[in-house]
Amino acid sequence: MIARSNSDARLARWLVSPALVVIALVAIFPLGWTLWESLHRHDLRLPWIGQPFVGLGNYVRIIHDPRFWGALGHTALFTVVSVALELVLGLIFALAMNRAFRGRGLVRVAVLVPWAIPTVVAALLWRFLFDSQAGIANALLMQTGVIDKPIVWFVHAATAWVPVILADVWKTTPFVALLLLAGLQNIDSALYEAAAVDGAGAWRQLTRITIPLLKPAILLVLIFRTLDAFRVFDLIYVLTGGGPGTSTEPIALYAFNALLQNLQFGYGAAISVVIFLITFGLALIYIKGLGAGGAAGVEP
Amino acid sequence: MSVDIRPTETTAVDRAPEGRDAKAPAKSRPSTSSVLGWIGLAILVLLIAFPLYWAIVASFTPEATLFREPSLWPRTIILDHYRALFTTRHFWVPIRNSIVVAGCTTIFCVVVGSLAAYALARLRFRGKAFILGFILAVSMFPQISIVSPLYLMLRALGLINTYPGLILPYLTFAMPLTVWLLVGYFRQLPPDLEEAALVDGASRWQSFVRVLLPLSVPGVATTAILTFIYSWNEFLFALSFTVGPDRQTVPVAIALFRGQYQVPWGEILAAAVVATVPVAAMVLIFQRRIVQGLTAGAVKG
Amino acid sequence: MLLIALFASLVFATGCGGETDTRPVITYSGSAVGSQGETVRRQIERFAKMHPEIVVRVQPSPDDATQRHQLFVQWLNAHVGDPDVMELDVIWTSEFAAAGWIRSLEQYSPTRGDFFPAAIEANTWNDTLYAIPWYVGVGLLYWRTDLLDHAPRSLDELVSQAERAMRASDGPPYGFVWQGARYEGLITSFVEYLGAFGAEIMNDSGDVVVDSPRAISALTFMRDEITRSRIAPPEVLTWHEEETRFAFQNGNAVFMRNWPYAYSLLSDSSQSRVAGHFAVATMPAAEGGHPTTALGGAELAINTYSEHPEIAWQLIQYLTAPEQQLERAAATGDYPTRRALYDDPRLAKALAVPLDQVRTAIESAVPRPVTPIYTELSGLLQVQLHRALTGQTSPANALHEAARQMKAVIRESGLDEREVATGSFAPAASVIPAKAGTHVRAGLDMGPRFRGDDGGGAAR
Repeated sequence: MIARSNSDARLARWLVSPALVVIALVAIFPLGWTLWESLHRHDLRLPWIGQPFVGLGNYVRIIHDPRFWGALGHTALFTVVSVALELVLGLIFALAMNRAFRGRGLVRVAVLVPWAIPTVVAALLWRFLFDSQAGIANALLMQTGVIDKPIVWFVHAATAWVPVILADVWKTTPFVALLLLAGLQNIDSALYEAAAVDGAGAWRQLTRITIPLLKPAILLVLIFRTLDAFRVFDLIYVLTGGGPGTSTEPIALYAFNALLQNLQFGYGAAISVVIFLITFGLALIYIKGLGAGGAAGVEP
Repeated sequence: MSVDIRPTETTAVDRAPEGRDAKAPAKSRPSTSSVLGWIGLAILVLLIAFPLYWAIVASFTPEATLFREPSLWPRTIILDHYRALFTTRHFWVPIRNSIVVAGCTTIFCVVVGSLAAYALARLRFRGKAFILGFILAVSMFPQISIVSPLYLMLRALGLINTYPGLILPYLTFAMPLTVWLLVGYFRQLPPDLEEAALVDGASRWQSFVRVLLPLSVPGVATTAILTFIYSWNEFLFALSFTVGPDRQTVPVAIALFRGQYQVPWGEILAAAVVATVPVAAMVLIFQRRIVQGLTAGAVKG
Repeated sequence: MLLIALFASLVFATGCGGETDTRPVITYSGSAVGSQGETVRRQIERFAKMHPEIVVRVQPSPDDATQRHQLFVQWLNAHVGDPDVMELDVIWTSEFAAAGWIRSLEQYSPTRGDFFPAAIEANTWNDTLYAIPWYVGVGLLYWRTDLLDHAPRSLDELVSQAERAMRASDGPPYGFVWQGARYEGLITSFVEYLGAFGAEIMNDSGDVVVDSPRAISALTFMRDEITRSRIAPPEVLTWHEEETRFAFQNGNAVFMRNWPYAYSLLSDSSQSRVAGHFAVATMPAAEGGHPTTALGGAELAINTYSEHPEIAWQLIQYLTAPEQQLERAAATGDYPTRRALYDDPRLAKALAVPLDQVRTAIESAVPRPVTPIYTELSGLLQVQLHRALTGQTSPANALHEAARQMKAVIRESGLDEREVATGSFAPAASVIPAKAGTHVRAGLDMGPRFRGDDGGGAAR
C-alpha cells in the first residue's frame, strides 16, 4: 500500500503538472503585475509623478471611497438575486430535461442557445426589448393590462434592475441547467424507486434525495456563477451604463473605469485585487458550507 | 413549482411520450403536480425562446420599420441583412476563427484537464487542496486587470493576432472550469470498477484510460460543451489580442459592425443568429454522448 | 504530443506570415466600417500609390469610443511603433499627449490658421499642437419644418413652440429629444445648455465653475423640460444618438439635438418619415448666454514610438488636405476642418446641409475642457447630471457635488499648480479670439507639476 501511494504521488505529479505549468505560464506574470501595481501610485496620464510605492495606500483609499461601497452593494444585490433565480430555474430545467420525452434533444439545444449569443449582443437585445418607445416588454404588459402607461425602465434604480437581472438569468440559466443535469444523471434511480415504495411524494423525493445528492453540482454552479456574476461587466455596461446615476454600477465596471478609462493603473489594480479577494472568500465559504474536500466529493 | 423528479432510466425516448416513463413502476398516471410542472416548464421554455424568436424576426425585418412600433410577427421579410453578412462582412472568417479558437481551447483543456482532474480526484498526494485552490484563483481576477500585462506578454512572445495568442489566455478561465467540473465528475463515479482493474494487475494509468474514461464520457461531453461556449462568448481578450479581421472572433466581429453612432440592428441580430448555428451543431453532436452515458448509467444501476 | 504538435503548427502557421518585403511599413488605425471606412481605405490606397517606397496598412479599430480608447491605451502603453497614425476622439488628445504617447507636431510647423480655432484649441496642450483636426462634429438642433415656420430664437421659444406643436391634433408625442443617458453624450448636451445660459465647466484659469448659479439654471432648465414643461420624455435619460434619431425620423418629435451624421439618414425617404420636412439650426440661447454647440469630431495623431514619423506626418497631411476632406464630406457628410473650404462651391455641393448654417454652428462650437484628466472629470460630472435629471437629487446639489469631486481630483493630480519649473512647459492661456459674438474659451491648459516631491499623494 505504501508503495502504491508513492507511485500514486509520482503519477499524480506527472498528471497535474501540464495543467499547472500552462496556467502558471499564462497567469503568474499578469497576476504578479496586478499585485505590484496595486501597491504603487501609477497614473498613466501623469507620467511625471513616476510610480512611487505607496504600500497599502490604494487600499486605504478604497475603504474611504463611497462609490466603491455603492458598487460593491450593487454587485452583491445582482449576484444574490440572479444566482438564486438561475439556480431555481436551472434546477427546474435540469429536472425536466433529465426525463425521457419526445424532442428532448431539441429542448436541450433550444435552452442552450441564449448562452451562445455573445453577451454584448444579448445585452443590446434586452435593451431593445425594454426600450420604452419600441420595446416589446411595455407593449405586452400594456396589452395584458398589467400597466396602463409605458414604464421607462432605465430611469429608476428599482426598475433598471429588472431588465439587467432578467437578461442575466435568460443568458446563463442554460449553463446552470446543463451543470445540474450532469449531476442528476449520476443519481441512482433505485433511490427514487425505494422512496416511492415508502410512499414519499415528489416534493419529499426532491428535498430528501435529489437536492442532497446534487450538492456537488450545486456547489460548482454556485462557485462559477458567483464568480462570474461578481465580475459582471459587459451586460450592465451595455444595458444601463451603470445608471441612473450610479444606481446599477457594478464593481467591475468601476474597476474598468479606473483602469482603462481614467488610466489609474495603481488604483484600478487595487480594486481588482479586492474583487479577487472577495470572490475567493465566497468560494471558500461555499466549499466549507456545502461539502468538505475541495471539489466536494460526496460519496454516493 | 414542483416537477416530478424521477430520473429517466432508459433512453426510450420514443416509448415515453408526454413525459411519462413507460417503465417507471411508481406512478402510472400523471399526477396533478406533474401536469402543473409541465405547464410551468412550457411557460419557462416560452420565456426563454421569446427573445430568441424576436431576434430572429428582427433579423429579417427592415431596420426602419423595426423602430416604429413593436410587432410580434414580421410584416415584411427581407434577406438583406443575411446577404450583407456574407458578402460585405465576410462573416465566415470570424466564424472559422471562433471555431478554431474555442475548439482548440476545449480540446486542450479537456485533455490536459482530465489528466489533472483524475489525479486530483483519485490519487493520494499532498497539496491537492492547494492545487485546486490555485487553479480556481487564477480565474478570479477580473479580466480587465490582467488584460494589459497579458498584452505585453503576448506581444513579447510574438503571439498577437495569432490563434495561440488567444488560446493561451483563454486557458486562464477555461482550465479552471474544466478541471473543477471533471474532478467533481470523477469523484462521483464508483471506485469499485477501477479497484477491480487494479486488483487484476492493471496500472493506475491503464485503469484510468480503460475503465474510468469510458465511464465518464457524458461528464466529459458536458464539460466540453460548457468550455466551448465559454470560449465562444469571450470578448475582451479577443478584442485586445487581435488586430485584424483575419483573426477576430465572432463577438469582436459583431462589435465592429457598430458605427460611431449607428447600430446596424438587423445585421447584428442576423450575425447573432448565424453564430448560434455552430454552437447548436456542437451541442447536438455531444448530446448523443450524453444520452449514451444515460444508457450506461441505467445498465450500471 | 499531438496537442503540442498542433500548437506548434499553429504558432508556425501564424508566426511566419510576414512578407519578405523590406519596405518600411506604416499603419493607420481608426474607423474601418461604413462609408467612412471605405473612403479612408480609398484615400490610403492612393497615398500608397504615390509612395511606392513604403507600405501602408490599415488596422481597423472599433467605432465604439470606449472600446477604441481601451485598445489604443493597450497598444500605446506597450510602447511599440504601430499603429503609426491614429484616429483620436477630440477629448483624448491631451490625455495621450500628457502620457507621452503621441508626438508634438510643432517640428513640422503645422499651419494652424487653416483650421477652425476651436478645433485647434482642442488639440493643443501646453501650447503644443498634438493632433490635426480631421473632421468636426457639432451639435445641431434639428427641427420640423412641417410643424413650425421658423427655428426657435431662444430656449423659451423652443419650449413654447414644442408645447404648441404637441398640443395640436395628431401632434407628435415628444417635443424635444436629446442624448441624456449616462455617457459622454450627456456632457455634450449639457455643454450646449451651459453656453446657452452663459456658464461653463471650467473658466479660463482652469477653475471648476460648473456649480455657478447660471450653470445651475442650465441644469434646472434641462430637468424642467422633462418634469415641468414635459417637452422631453423621461426616456431621453436612457437614449444615445440613435434612439433620438429613431424618435425624430418616425415623426415623433418636434426638435432633436444630434450630430451631423443624422442629416443624410433623415433625408432618406425609404426609412424616414420626416424626409424633406426638417431643417437644422444652432441651439438657441437663454438670456445672458450665447448659442453654443459642443465640439466633437476626430483628429489624427502620430504615435511617439513610430519608427517612421516623417511618413506618418505625410499621411496625416494627405488625409487632411482640402481634396481629401472634400471627398470625405461628399461620401460621409462629415464637416471639413479647414475654414477656406466653406467658401468653396464644391463643398456646398458635397454637403446636403446649407453651408452658412454649418459654418455658424462650427463657429459657435465650444471644446470640452482640455486636460489629461478629462475622462475622469467627465465621468464624475455625468453621474451627478444623471442623478439630478432622474430626480435623485436637486440640480444645485448635484452640481455642487460634481464641482467638489472635480476639484478634489484636480488637486490630487497636481495639475492645478500653474507655476511650472521647466521652460518647455510655459503656463498657457491660449485664448483664441473667436468670431463675432461667439464664445470660445481656452481649455484647461495646465502645466504639470514638475517637482519630484510626490509620493504621498495617492494615500489621502
